[in-house]
Amino acid sequence: MNNFSILFRKEWRENVRNFKILWIPLVFILFGISEPLTYYYLPQILNAVGNVPSDMVFQLPEYTPDQIIMSTIGQYQFIGMLIVAFGFAGIIARERKNGTATMLYVRPISYTGYVFSKLAIMGILIIGSACIGLLANVYYTNVLYGAVDAVAFIGFLGTYSIWLLFAICVVICSSAAFSTGIASVVSILLLVVVQLVDSLLGTYWTISPWKLPMYAGQILNGNLDKTPFFWSLTVTVVVVVLLVVLAVYLAKRNVSKAKI
Amino acid sequence: MDLNSIPWMLILPVLIIQLLLIIVAVIDLYRVKYTNGPKWMWALIIICFSIIGPVIYFIVGRRNE
Repeated sequence: MNNFSILFRKEWRENVRNFKILWIPLVFILFGISEPLTYYYLPQILNAVGNVPSDMVFQLPEYTPDQIIMSTIGQYQFIGMLIVAFGFAGIIARERKNGTATMLYVRPISYTGYVFSKLAIMGILIIGSACIGLLANVYYTNVLYGAVDAVAFIGFLGTYSIWLLFAICVVICSSAAFSTGIASVVSILLLVVVQLVDSLLGTYWTISPWKLPMYAGQILNGNLDKTPFFWSLTVTVVVVVLLVVLAVYLAKRNVSKAKI
Repeated sequence: MDLNSIPWMLILPVLIIQLLLIIVAVIDLYRVKYTNGPKWMWALIIICFSIIGPVIYFIVGRRNE
């Protein structure tokens, strides 16, 4: 465990120095805030920027609070996942390339501690900023659209955090397996493209990790189908554990690829 | 549309966060030695594209070595 705390301190310092600790939460908060604002002021924005004829009447739908929060999740699922995949694809692969790895690997470190330090720092950065962003979002939704049930929101936040954990593990595992470029492509493929496929063809099955955000939204608006949800949760947790084990194994195996 | 009808209490956080992002990116750009591509190009990108610019700089422009 001592091994872990030292490696974690190294990760923490690195992420403070490259400002990730600052800009990732800011971006998530920004998207969380701007989503309800844009929806709420859409008529005024359209009036101000487009030369709409004055006698034209807009029939904008009335949004409920959970629809606004779900559309924020839609933003996070695309832009957030791009940030996760591109910003962290090098988390293990880059160290092999730039020589940090040689400094680490000559010492008797435990690879479990090594992977877990990566997991911890990514978890704090990404799940933390997504939670802060969603809290800001729910505050704005509350002001502009109306209250959200607190218990449902906590359930929603928990479910979405499990999905983020899955995303983090995918990125760490592909980073342990491949070089930075390939790792970012593989993570994008697994996180964004598979998600699109799942939403297009996904009516044929109900249990998949990529459906967790959708189930999170269902928790929020109160008509959750419990059985597929719990199965998806179980499958996701099992996959997360498998990915962590695989990442430890791959990190150990790819030591020889480190550039000296 | 006059200035008083804008709900500043709601809009202000957005502006502040955008400004913070730009400031952080510019400070970082000033401190690092090398970027991918010329520095003045990244300065333009950071300042001209308000939200996306700093993010693109941090992901693509920064050399993490």
